[in-house]
Amino acid sequence: MDAAPGDRARSTPLPLRWLHAAETALLVAAVLALVGLSAAQIVARTLFDGGWAWVDPLTRALVLWTAMLGALAAARDDRHINLDALTRLLRGTPLRFARFVTFAFAAGVSALLAWYGWQLVLLDRESGTPAFGFVQAWHVELILPVGFGLLALRFLVRAFVRPQPPSP
Amino acid sequence: MTWLIVAALLLLAALGAPLFALIGAVAMLGLHAGGADLTVVMVEFYRLADMPVLVAIPLFTLAGYLLGESGAPKRLVRLTDSLLGWMPGGLAIVALCACALFTAFTGASGVTIVAMGALLYPALRQARYGDSFSLGLVTSSGSLGLLFAPAVPLILYAIVAQQFNTTPPVSVDAMFRAGLLPGLLMILLLAAWSIYVAPPLERGPGRIDWREAGRAAWDARWEIPLPIVVLGGIYSGAFAASEVAAVTAAYVLVVTTLVRREIDAPRLVAAIREAMALVGAILLILGVSLGLTYWFIDNSVPERLFEWIGAHVDSKLAFLLLLNLFLLVLGMLLDIFSATVIMVPIILPIALQFGIDPVHLGIVFLANMQLGYFTPPVGMNLFIAAYRFQRPVLEIVRACVPFFLILFAAVLAITYVPWLSLVLVR
Repeated sequence: MDAAPGDRARSTPLPLRWLHAAETALLVAAVLALVGLSAAQIVARTLFDGGWAWVDPLTRALVLWTAMLGALAAARDDRHINLDALTRLLRGTPLRFARFVTFAFAAGVSALLAWYGWQLVLLDRESGTPAFGFVQAWHVELILPVGFGLLALRFLVRAFVRPQPPSP
Repeated sequence: MTWLIVAALLLLAALGAPLFALIGAVAMLGLHAGGADLTVVMVEFYRLADMPVLVAIPLFTLAGYLLGESGAPKRLVRLTDSLLGWMPGGLAIVALCACALFTAFTGASGVTIVAMGALLYPALRQARYGDSFSLGLVTSSGSLGLLFAPAVPLILYAIVAQQFNTTPPVSVDAMFRAGLLPGLLMILLLAAWSIYVAPPLERGPGRIDWREAGRAAWDARWEIPLPIVVLGGIYSGAFAASEVAAVTAAYVLVVTTLVRREIDAPRLVAAIREAMALVGAILLILGVSLGLTYWFIDNSVPERLFEWIGAHVDSKLAFLLLLNLFLLVLGMLLDIFSATVIMVPIILPIALQFGIDPVHLGIVFLANMQLGYFTPPVGMNLFIAAYRFQRPVLEIVRACVPFFLILFAAVLAITYVPWLSLVLVR
């Protein structure tokens, strides 16, 4: 079910494929929920002058979650935005070197961001900041350390992976 | 030590490090030097979950990707051709309008050249338009239309500018209105050029084949409501951008998967993944740059920059001219989304000091970025077109020159005639 171009079926170990499939499933579910909820909210608001108080904060939380899951997908496909004027000209070993350095750097930054994301989770769990309904802020924030943590691991792995043929 | 870090970061940038990592690193280094608790970076990042307009970005992007995957581009070209094809230069104008409409929905990410260019280039050649003209037209039209609602760059600019609580404020609706006339000006100028160079007509002028037009309209019956709902809803002021986005995304999802059945489940999953990879890449940069903006403002970086620039540049006009040149270079190097997120927090406070309306600045910024997409030597769309049409980049560059000059004239007009951007807003 996973149509990821970065996922070359047999070369990817099974647990990793499970992880990718889970990420994609979660992403698709979040996006469909985002579309469904925001459309339903508008129908409720215009037709019945109603709507639900918890929908708006929930859709905003879903935006954060889709952004993090989308960023993970982008890392898997080498689609993170960068300056590519120079790397376009590189081939072979220099390209492998450039990718190693930059991805290792991205992994380091992501790891730091994951760490501070975790600090934020601890902070808001301590203070019990509410988000909406029975959901607390730290539940929503959990995607920060988890997302950036996975992103760090993924960049670290990709630092060693051979680049894919160029595409627009 | 500071210079060593700066040099290392510049080297990493040149080697193609992901921008979000670079911005995140700068923000953390800056805050760390100021003795702040770095958790603030994540506090700022978490504000992504606290911006009601932001939901419009994933929703419109999803709608655009689904439309691109479906047969909508083909039907759009058929319909506009049946209505405009009779004019001299008609097919070229069809190409301009179809590309503009398509880019407005997909947000100028190179999708237009791939999806529309593949249809339009052969059609133009068949209608005996010159090879160079046809290549130049489809390449430069790849970013045309990003000044029209509901293009994501307009939304993103408004979101970034809102962080500064400007007076007058920058709402998404204001940006949508402001882009209308400048966008039309670009299309009109390009249309005039197309009429001038067009080959003589085959079908004979002034004849619309009404039966074909009717059939084309029937064929596109599910797509026709879209621009009406989106543009009508937005420009009438009846709905907020995020509401229109929700309706659009839900409608497109239902039509492409359930009504037309052009997108099956595996392709839906792939399209969602593709669209959200782009959204994720953009929002990650936006998130970390919120931390950077926090550091900027905390250290009054904009004020210091203004003092420095004010010492060399004394008039609004000179500032705008410098801005044009600077943005042209920036547009070649950075894509429109990261350029907006990174540069607007720096440029906006300075422009405000020079008395430039923040909405006008947004249109100037985005119009320049649109040009940057195909500015030689490194505009992104030049490479996409070269790849798509299997031509040397230099040939594409040469083909784009007249179009570049025309749109450059339009950008200058947009810059120095604020009325164009502001008459529908203020």
